[in-house]
Amino acid sequence: MIQQIMSTTWKDLKILFKDFGGVALLFVMPLMFIIVMSTALSGLFDDTTDTNPRLLPVVNLDRGGYGAEVVAALDSIDGIKVETTWEDAALTRDLAETLVANGDRSVIVVFPSDFSAQIAARSENEEATATIELITDPAVSVQFIAPIQGMVLGAAERVAETQVAQAQIASTLASVFAQLPAEMRPSVDRIAIDVEGESVVNLQQVAPAEMNITVYPDTYQQNVPGYTVLGVFFIVGSMAGSILEEKRDGTFRRLLVAPLPRPILLAGKILPYYLVNLIQIALMFGTAHLLFGMSIGNPVALAAISMALASTATGLGIMLAALGKTEAQVSGLTTLLTLTLSALGGCLMPTYIMPSFLQTISQFTPHFWAMQGFQDVLVRGYGLAGILPEAGILLGFAAVFFTIGVWRFRFDQ
Amino acid sequence: MNKNIIEAKGLVKRYGNVDAVKGLSFAIQRGEIFGFLGPNGAGKTTTISMLSCLLEPTQGTALVAEYDVVKASTEVRRRIGLVPQELALYPTLSARDNLNYFGRIYGLCGRALRQRVDEVLEMVNLTERAKAAVKTYSGGMKRRLNIAAGLLHQPEVLFLDEPTVGVDPQSRNAIFEHVERLRDEGMTVIYTTHYMEEAERLCNRVAIIDEGSVVALDTPRKLIADLGGGIIHLGVANGRLSPDLLQQIRSLPQVKSTTRFDSKIEVETVHAQKALVHLLELFNRTNTEITALQVLEPNLETVFLHLTGKQLRDH
Repeated sequence: MIQQIMSTTWKDLKILFKDFGGVALLFVMPLMFIIVMSTALSGLFDDTTDTNPRLLPVVNLDRGGYGAEVVAALDSIDGIKVETTWEDAALTRDLAETLVANGDRSVIVVFPSDFSAQIAARSENEEATATIELITDPAVSVQFIAPIQGMVLGAAERVAETQVAQAQIASTLASVFAQLPAEMRPSVDRIAIDVEGESVVNLQQVAPAEMNITVYPDTYQQNVPGYTVLGVFFIVGSMAGSILEEKRDGTFRRLLVAPLPRPILLAGKILPYYLVNLIQIALMFGTAHLLFGMSIGNPVALAAISMALASTATGLGIMLAALGKTEAQVSGLTTLLTLTLSALGGCLMPTYIMPSFLQTISQFTPHFWAMQGFQDVLVRGYGLAGILPEAGILLGFAAVFFTIGVWRFRFDQ
Repeated sequence: MNKNIIEAKGLVKRYGNVDAVKGLSFAIQRGEIFGFLGPNGAGKTTTISMLSCLLEPTQGTALVAEYDVVKASTEVRRRIGLVPQELALYPTLSARDNLNYFGRIYGLCGRALRQRVDEVLEMVNLTERAKAAVKTYSGGMKRRLNIAAGLLHQPEVLFLDEPTVGVDPQSRNAIFEHVERLRDEGMTVIYTTHYMEEAERLCNRVAIIDEGSVVALDTPRKLIADLGGGIIHLGVANGRLSPDLLQQIRSLPQVKSTTRFDSKIEVETVHAQKALVHLLELFNRTNTEITALQVLEPNLETVFLHLTGKQLRDH
């Protein structure tokens, strides 16, 4: 019995290794996944360092000096580098909004013009608070924002409370010491002063004005697009596999003998998968909407980006069916592409936590633009006009995939 | 109307430096079962792929129903049906679903489609199992359904590429009967096989193909008759066969000709059994030791062996 098992194993290994491309992918795929995921998530799990600091753009409109002190305090934190300029020009509030709206930056800190004045007023008026604005992309997750909020608030309160405390100390000492004989007056450094009351500084998170935001994204709006885009591209494997299966089983040969133009035959193979893609998307978003109450934004815009995405996925399917010579190759290539592109494109983790070079690479994936499109609709509240750029880029990807696919497609092999 | 439904002149199909088909010329008459007989890899499938517009010939021309297979391929496709060597069916679908799909591809729809599907199911005796998934069928049933799918649009010419591979004798006979009925109804059937019994039983004429060339083309009866009464292969010890002995063999009654290979001699006879008696007598008289003896009855297998020095099938 062992002999039969061993000889079968040996025979299958020989067959497998005859398809070198297919085997290579089996090894390349997990390797690529490890490399991409580890690099992409380095922003979450690695300490930022002086050689690889996290950039924190700041707009300081404060007419007093406290804003500058907070900026300096932030800049002195290990692993943080404050940005106050953009392309050699000073950052302004309008520019900050544009940068966030365009996705160039996820969070920008703005110190208002009365920041110092409000802190100074606190010693006289316990109600006075200084507000720092965080202009934030609504699609950015809380996990990413929270540490930045903590750093900014911590640095600001240290500066503010020092000022308030000094004023309160001076005022308290003046009134207490005035009632004591001169020989009984204690030295100032032995007195602990407790600054009580509401926090002096608060943070206000705002979206860029051009975004039509009423609520911030919930967990479903964050996750549903990611897994939807990932799932949509899984169709690539089924589609390419089905075409190769038809070639193998001879059904394609039978169909090719029929008086049927070849483009029609190809279109007939694409259309069902295109429809399956649309049903997939409708099911995902419908479930999230009906079961979890997720807002789906503008339905026309959502439909447009969905159709563009389905075109891209089916285009990729045809391209892989044309380029892959065996079912093993296509299967491996599909898994490699599906998982790697999903990770790079921001389906599995947000792109803004990735190192900047990876963020640049991610823009070359259709997944990135599909994610941007869905988040524009779901989270940023954009309508049809707002998602046209993303839809256009996705259709561009689709055109390239279809062109290569049809060009390289061999009906008779 | 031209009595030839297919005319091929100098057909060549070249892959890189290899000629899979080397200048085939033949004519196939309307209403005949025409066989391409040859071993695997002889070029049979390549030839019918060119005739059915699946492959473009590298050189040469072919007319099917008077239409050029390259210049008027759509007209050719309307008039032909192909039953591929593979079971070109969707295993998870039922027989009826498969036939409905292929029928629609040929433009059939509605009542005409239903009627035609019923007819072909009846023709191949699958009406009762029409709703079952094809994957639950026996090999023979799948083969019959494979043929049915090629008949839906009532083609003038039907290409059957090795239609009996892997089927039991009972199903094979059923397939033969279907093919003969189609011929009787006026359809031209092009039948490729490497089973000489099938070619002998079914085909009105046979083209024997080897290494991309036609080595003989005629009715099976004529091809066999030309061979005579069978062949005897004789092996002699140490390959010793004197010219004198060879001359004596040639002059024996019932012997038509001899061909000498290394340690073996092939004797073409008028009647194999009678010739064998004379041969054994001669070898006994001359004290020549026989190390191998094979009597090949006159059939297409023997014809092929005689023409190519090879057997149709690997044993």
